[in-house]
Amino acid sequence: MVAYIEAKNVNLIFTPPNRMPVTALKDFNISVGEGEFVSIVGPSGCGKSTFLNVLLGLIPPHSGEMAINGKRVSGPGQDRAMVFQEFGLLPWRTVLNNVELGLELKGVATSERRPVSQKFIEMVGLAGFEGHYPHELSGGMKQRVGLARALATDPDVLLMDEPFAALDAQTRDIMQAELLRIWQEAKKTVLFVTHQIEEAVYLSDRVIVMTKRPGRAKKIIDIPLPRPRDYEMRVTQEFNDLKLQLWNELKDELTVHGNG
Amino acid sequence: MNDTTSTAVSPVPASAAPVRDEGLGEITRRTFWEANERHALGIGFIVFVLLLWEVIPHILTLSRGMDLFFTTPTQVAMTLYNMFASGEIWPAFKFSAVAFSVGLGLSIVAALPLGVIIGRSHTMNAMLDPFITAFNATPRLVFLPIILVWFGIGMWSVVVVVFIGAVFPLLINTYAGVRNADRLLINVVRSFGASEWQINKLVILPNSMPFIIAGLRLAIGRAILGIVVAEFFGGSSEGIGVMMNDAAGKFQVDIVFAGLVIFMALSLVMVGGVKVLEARLSRWRPENVKSF
Amino acid sequence: MNDFVYKWRNPIFGSVSVVLFFLGWEALLTWAIPLNPFIMSKPSLIFEGLWLEMQSGQLWSDLLISGQPFIFGFGAAIVVGIFVGTMMGWRARVGYALDPLLTALYASPLVAIAPLVIIFFGVGVSGKAILIFVLCVFPFVFNTYAGVKSVDRLLVNVVRSLGGNERDIYLKVIVPSVLPFIIAGARYAIGRALVGILVGEFFAATAGIGYRIAWFSDMFELSRMFGYILVMMVVAVLFTEGIRWAERAAFPWRVGM
Ligand SMILES: Nc1ncnc2c1ncn2[C@@H]1O[C@H](COP(=O)(O)OP(=O)(O)OP(=O)(O)O)[C@@H](O)[C@H]1O
Ligand SMILES: [Mg+2]
Repeated sequence: MVAYIEAKNVNLIFTPPNRMPVTALKDFNISVGEGEFVSIVGPSGCGKSTFLNVLLGLIPPHSGEMAINGKRVSGPGQDRAMVFQEFGLLPWRTVLNNVELGLELKGVATSERRPVSQKFIEMVGLAGFEGHYPHELSGGMKQRVGLARALATDPDVLLMDEPFAALDAQTRDIMQAELLRIWQEAKKTVLFVTHQIEEAVYLSDRVIVMTKRPGRAKKIIDIPLPRPRDYEMRVTQEFNDLKLQLWNELKDELTVHGNG
Repeated sequence: MNDTTSTAVSPVPASAAPVRDEGLGEITRRTFWEANERHALGIGFIVFVLLLWEVIPHILTLSRGMDLFFTTPTQVAMTLYNMFASGEIWPAFKFSAVAFSVGLGLSIVAALPLGVIIGRSHTMNAMLDPFITAFNATPRLVFLPIILVWFGIGMWSVVVVVFIGAVFPLLINTYAGVRNADRLLINVVRSFGASEWQINKLVILPNSMPFIIAGLRLAIGRAILGIVVAEFFGGSSEGIGVMMNDAAGKFQVDIVFAGLVIFMALSLVMVGGVKVLEARLSRWRPENVKSF
Repeated sequence: MNDFVYKWRNPIFGSVSVVLFFLGWEALLTWAIPLNPFIMSKPSLIFEGLWLEMQSGQLWSDLLISGQPFIFGFGAAIVVGIFVGTMMGWRARVGYALDPLLTALYASPLVAIAPLVIIFFGVGVSGKAILIFVLCVFPFVFNTYAGVKSVDRLLVNVVRSLGGNERDIYLKVIVPSVLPFIIAGARYAIGRALVGILVGEFFAATAGIGYRIAWFSDMFELSRMFGYILVMMVVAVLFTEGIRWAERAAFPWRVGM
């Protein structure tokens, strides 16, 4: 497989002012093929969000190489878009204007970006809420705005940080199906962080299990389930075996006392 | 508001109106008093105090000497009316207004960029913080004598006093607002390719707006205070403060109160204006955090 | 070592910049620009003057003289302000009646009546104390009012349902909710009180910090004037930062109010 996204020995230490330094990533290595759907699972605080932020170009690593399509990541780029864990909606903008943010920064004219953002607002089931401000939305609705905002820019690489965590079970199922459809149609490369083992197995080509902090890629598990995947697949023996395998890898990393 | 505009913007269909009027008259009347009790009491109390003040000389005989210090609301109102009618107030008014506007304007121009810089740089913040804290805590009046030495008697001294009064609340609030900007939001717009300038425009500025406006409200109060004290203590030979000070020396108490009413009206009007601006700019904020 | 630097970064930077500021000021007027003592002074002269004032006892006596009306005026403002604010918050109608009038007075530059107060009550302690009272009472009124209104009815009911009596309600709910507001009010009031002292003493006085500042400036004794200004700044910072520190220590749950 030709590596499309490649991380080699990435190290990252946070040095917050007035606090002790924290090593978030230590010798982090992964490689993802073009058009692949890869999930990342790992204990809370192990550095998953941090890794996505480095890949997004928001945080420079202290050492190591991070490259996309052979080009070193040296800052944010419009080939990537992230669905943020804490949503990150601008509170002073309406749903419509939030979804348009990426297009606006790309310099797309208002008349052209309107239909695009409208399409994605409808896709995430928020038609009729275009004029609402974030504080008027529920957690799940905010998360879907974040999803629509990332999708609207039509990025090659989609980074998703627990994008469905705030959704109810039914909406989550619908959004998963939509995501798989878009991924297959538009041939995007997806990096998907989740705490849900079932979700990781259902969506992914491969799942990366991370160690507790400082985070490394501990194990990579292939998910050889056929595509397109459907809902019934989740009750098969094969599916359950994969879940169990993943759980076994993960449970060693989980400690009751967090990860001091 | 006239009829055409009110019907034009009304979200209620015309046909709905008569239906509501039918059986709800009773309720409407009661809630009318309930809704207005507050204002009725508030205005009523002000009227009561003014009336009391007015009748005091009629029920108490003031000792000689004491009556020198006494005036009544009607006298003050007459004095005010005459000042404006004869136009004698205008030169003083103009002087104070110009000093106020220039001083406040300069403080805004200085405070906003500096506030953004201090808010975005930890080093600048750490280095300037002791000075800002000290100058903000100290009554700026203490610098009046040295300002008079440096700028002489006249418009510039008053402007400088207004400026140093107004600049600190604005500066402190601006940088508090900038500091308060959510790192996540900055990262979000950065991730979509925003430049430094766009980050300021899309995140820092809207986020600081409520802080800046709260600072502006404080700054207006400080600026008016600055006008009064600067003009009282020889910062100029013109202006409403000078007029009041001279009047106090000649026991023309009604003029002192007339001046006070002018300043009071100015600050209420301006603070009211800022509140309107604030309400317009904070539609995106949840109700419970709107005012602070 | 690293830990130490992280923790003390801001105070270190701050102190360094203050020291640099004074050194730069001194150097500028020693080597770069010839000092004209009628318009400017420099730190060495200022501190020397201040030292002489301390030794002669003049500074202390001025501080005492300015302190008296401050204590009377401020004390009266605390008592009256808390009483009126409590009534306003406790009885909604009292609040409705007083709010607009007091808001209007609070918003207006009340120092403007200083000449009247001084002429009426004289240049002694009482005139200044009354001026300080008038300026300081409003922050106490409005903060107490806000504090009483903010008392959470739910908490009152919780204490009651747990078997608490009226006393418990006062001591465990009402006082802890209102006190932080009152202390924050004191922080605003301090600044206004200092303005009151200065206004009173600029107008008419024969001693006191404000009087001395005006007098030194008339005498072109700029070094001594700057020394007294510095004292005023130190006093102001000690007061406000002291209250802020007390707020943080006593009410850690409402930092940044
Ligand atoms: N800006 C920051 N400054 C200092 N430390 C940070 C910062 N961001 C993250 N960390 C630390 O880095 C570690 C990894 O954080 P990260 O957010 O990447 O975890 P995560 O794997 O996404 O966890 P979760 O599953 O809970 O979202 C944590 O221990 C956290 O405390
Ligand atoms: Mg995370």
